Amino acid sequence: MAAAQFRNQSDAFSDDFYRQLGAGFKLFLVYGILIVATAQTIYPLIWMIFGSLKSDSDLFNNIWGPPRMAIWQNYADAWRTAELGARIGNSIIVTVLSLGLLLVVSSIAAYALARLRFPGREVIFLLILATMMIPPEVTVIPLFIVVRDIGILNSRLGLVMVYVGTSMAFSIFLLRGFFMSIPYELEDAALVDGANRLRVFVYIVLPLARPGLATVAIFQGMFIWNEFFLAFIFIRNTEMQTIPLGLVNFFYRYQADWTLYFAALTTVTIPVIVLYVAMQRWFIEGLTAGAVKS
Amino acid sequence: MIKVKSRQPPRYYRYLSAYLMLLPALILLIVFVLIPIALGFYLSFHRWDGFNQPVYIGINNYIRLAQRDDIFVKAVTNTVIFAVSVVSVKNVLGLGLALLVNQKIRGVIFFRTALFLPVTLSFVVIGLLWSWIYNPSFGLLNAGLELIGLDSLIRPWLSDPSTALGSIITVDIWKWTGFHMVLYLAGLQAIPRDLYEVAIIDGANAWARLIRITLPLLAPVTFINVLLSLNGAFVRNFDLVYVMTGGGPNNATEVVLTHLVTQSFRFGKLGYASAMGFVLFAIVGVIGAVYIRIGRSGTYNF
Repeated sequence: MAAAQFRNQSDAFSDDFYRQLGAGFKLFLVYGILIVATAQTIYPLIWMIFGSLKSDSDLFNNIWGPPRMAIWQNYADAWRTAELGARIGNSIIVTVLSLGLLLVVSSIAAYALARLRFPGREVIFLLILATMMIPPEVTVIPLFIVVRDIGILNSRLGLVMVYVGTSMAFSIFLLRGFFMSIPYELEDAALVDGANRLRVFVYIVLPLARPGLATVAIFQGMFIWNEFFLAFIFIRNTEMQTIPLGLVNFFYRYQADWTLYFAALTTVTIPVIVLYVAMQRWFIEGLTAGAVKS
Repeated sequence: MIKVKSRQPPRYYRYLSAYLMLLPALILLIVFVLIPIALGFYLSFHRWDGFNQPVYIGINNYIRLAQRDDIFVKAVTNTVIFAVSVVSVKNVLGLGLALLVNQKIRGVIFFRTALFLPVTLSFVVIGLLWSWIYNPSFGLLNAGLELIGLDSLIRPWLSDPSTALGSIITVDIWKWTGFHMVLYLAGLQAIPRDLYEVAIIDGANAWARLIRITLPLLAPVTFINVLLSLNGAFVRNFDLVYVMTGGGPNNATEVVLTHLVTQSFRFGKLGYASAMGFVLFAIVGVIGAVYIRIGRSGTYNF
């Protein structure tokens, strides 16, 4: 500090001048880069919305700009031809069931691993750690055989089970970390008062671990809602297709209705964007907490 | 103290309740993760159409993969190119953007929110959208190049074998950079401010501060970032390739998973495809294990 002040006094004018010039230029540069980066992120999505309202000739001749005349009919047509209602319903069913089952099963298991002492605990935890590193994609053929032989191929239940089974290790790992960061004293007090483990878990531990549960729900909810590969392998019936499958199916069946594709894509994307913007703190903090904890 | 202890249930009862709590999770893990791994290993040594009795053929599937399947070799090459480029570019760009949005400037929350947005969208949505951006007749990209006078760069991006893979890689980077930016940002915000103040007094310029303070202190976050990007780099490429090019033109964008799906579900070679899956498993497993080993032996304490 002393040195800087001394320099300021001896050469006040030029130092200040250059520093301000430098700061101004730096700010200009920072904004410049951020605006370019943001524009290339956002503009494709705006372009998608523009495209969804254009006429065919508008789409091909007026590539950059907004539609000359908004054709809302595109949305009605896309909704009907892409059977979006049924697909959105399927996605909601699959995501809600998967998340519910995953949260219940993985939180109970994670609690046992975090708090209880029993023979084999270390082995089981290492097993979970190891399977966490194996993405389901690499075992998709034998997974397909297993699902087929159980008899749940081509059903929403089958897809739910696959999602829950393959997300299990990661969720347990994450939740175990959260449970371990909760102080013992609260639980001990309740146990001494005569509450059993289950009551302690439901009424004391789970409420305290809410940020952890939210992280798992956001991470896995986003993954399941957006998942394409496994759904593509395990669902063949059109009526059971989730949104990503339905979009691809729609796209490959009608090879020229461009404006309808734009409308279908916009229809399923806008709710996600709205949800994200409304809950962006949860998204960003949840993902950060999850990644940093692991 | 003794009274409290005596109120606890007997030991075998406590063990039993712990195992019961783990049981549902373990059953799901065994059925949907462990059995498939074992079964995949078993099938990779067999010829099997999925219905008749599997025929044991030793390591023939693997020999054929390495020596007689040009598309597989191409697919492995592409998968590795994909992985190396996305991991490096996502991390460099993510860190760069994190440094920018870590400044105290107006509108910084807007920039953070906007840059993270693609993370929330599915590969299918993004893949379809970008295949239209690359479209030669109404795509945004060619129209943009024409607008700024770079007509010579105009090409059918996805149907030109020399640009198709790069175009898909770009999309994957576009989707995930914001995610890494947010993680790096969290790391940057955890670095104590006074370190920088001391460095400024000592006369360190911005570059020196980045190299001497920021990067070393960011090492644990960098480790996690690279691990997360590495985790998906070899396998989370099917959706984009399938939606954007289907592996074409002329297998230029074929990756291991697209080849695996074609061989198994179109041609019914389930044993052969299992061998491919196992090669991918080995690549992912070895790289993951080596990486975690390095991380553990270093300062990161993973």
